[in-house]
Amino acid sequence: MATIVSVLALAHAPGATGWLDRAPVHEQEALIAGYAAMAKRLHESRPDVIVGVANDHMLNFSMNNVPDWCVGIADQWQGPAEWFRDWVNIAPYRVAGHRALGRAIVQGCAQRGFGLAFAEQLEFDDNWSVPLHFLTPAHDIPLVPIHMNCVLPPMPAPARCLAFGRVLGEVIRAWPSDARVAIMATGGLSHDPGGPKYFEVDEAFDRGFMDLLAAGDSARVEREVSLERMMAAGDGGTVELLAWLVAMGAAGDCPADNIFYVPSVPLRCGMGGMAWNLPL
Amino acid sequence: MGIMQTDRTLPTNRLIFEGRRDAALRARFGSELEALMSEYGLSEPEKRALREIDIRALGDMGVHPYFLPQITRLFKGAGYNHNQSDAAQLYARKMNIQE
Repeated sequence: MATIVSVLALAHAPGATGWLDRAPVHEQEALIAGYAAMAKRLHESRPDVIVGVANDHMLNFSMNNVPDWCVGIADQWQGPAEWFRDWVNIAPYRVAGHRALGRAIVQGCAQRGFGLAFAEQLEFDDNWSVPLHFLTPAHDIPLVPIHMNCVLPPMPAPARCLAFGRVLGEVIRAWPSDARVAIMATGGLSHDPGGPKYFEVDEAFDRGFMDLLAAGDSARVEREVSLERMMAAGDGGTVELLAWLVAMGAAGDCPADNIFYVPSVPLRCGMGGMAWNLPL
Repeated sequence: MGIMQTDRTLPTNRLIFEGRRDAALRARFGSELEALMSEYGLSEPEKRALREIDIRALGDMGVHPYFLPQITRLFKGAGYNHNQSDAAQLYARKMNIQE
């Protein structure tokens, strides 16, 4: 059976690659060091494949038909989507997919009550381009991208995201393969693209959220995290942290390390990352 | 405005969704905006707001907030989108907010 060897969650905001030079030097250094520490955690776990979970910024699914989750099952991916290349300032890249695992996730989740969409084609923007740039700059680890709806109501509630994460973890662990699998959630932390808090970061919310997840008590997370509280910290963006709840569900109730946090107004986002300490 | 007020069936939402994915369509934002807006069935208030890049009005009509700064980038360029960039400053001015 496959093994989940690491579970990570980290921010993907485009300023990290698009206009990092406009942030103060101490923010730049903390961000680069933070992403490097996240990359170290990933590579130390020696993954054969990454299962990613991130917000679809309403790039792939027209509003007439938006799935909660959509699994990319193609053999090959490429990014960034054309219009987003200048924005993220990342050259075109290719990364392998993993059809067998993608299909196993769709089938296994269906058998356990989660009907997932799946796709042969998905456009990538900052959701994968930024974290892959920092964590796997050679783009040499296959990716199964799971795009989720974090921002177009109705979004899946926090409890449902945790439940999906538990099922996703169960399905991966039941997959008949000797593969080592990393789970990487991307998005958040507080930011408000398109809202009145465009130039604000809610540091208190971000730190509280990371500490809450790091404690490893999903029942408490279910009680204390709400869509309303997330939206209050940044209506159009902070809710991307729903993807982090999927990661937590997959990790199980184990504690996590807060690897870095940089509240950056120049990047218009609370930038951070954490990694779960999985039981051996 | 806000994500909970998004009007999924608003024609402007479909136009912006597709404009970000289609370079040929995107080119027409500059050269054939009036024809484009008519083809997509925008109402007169939507047309006025988009013509004037009145993103606050667009948000009030139910355009998804995430699309609003993207609209300023469609008109002002998406590269090097720091807080003093033309696109971000246009957003700030239209929303009456400051860094």
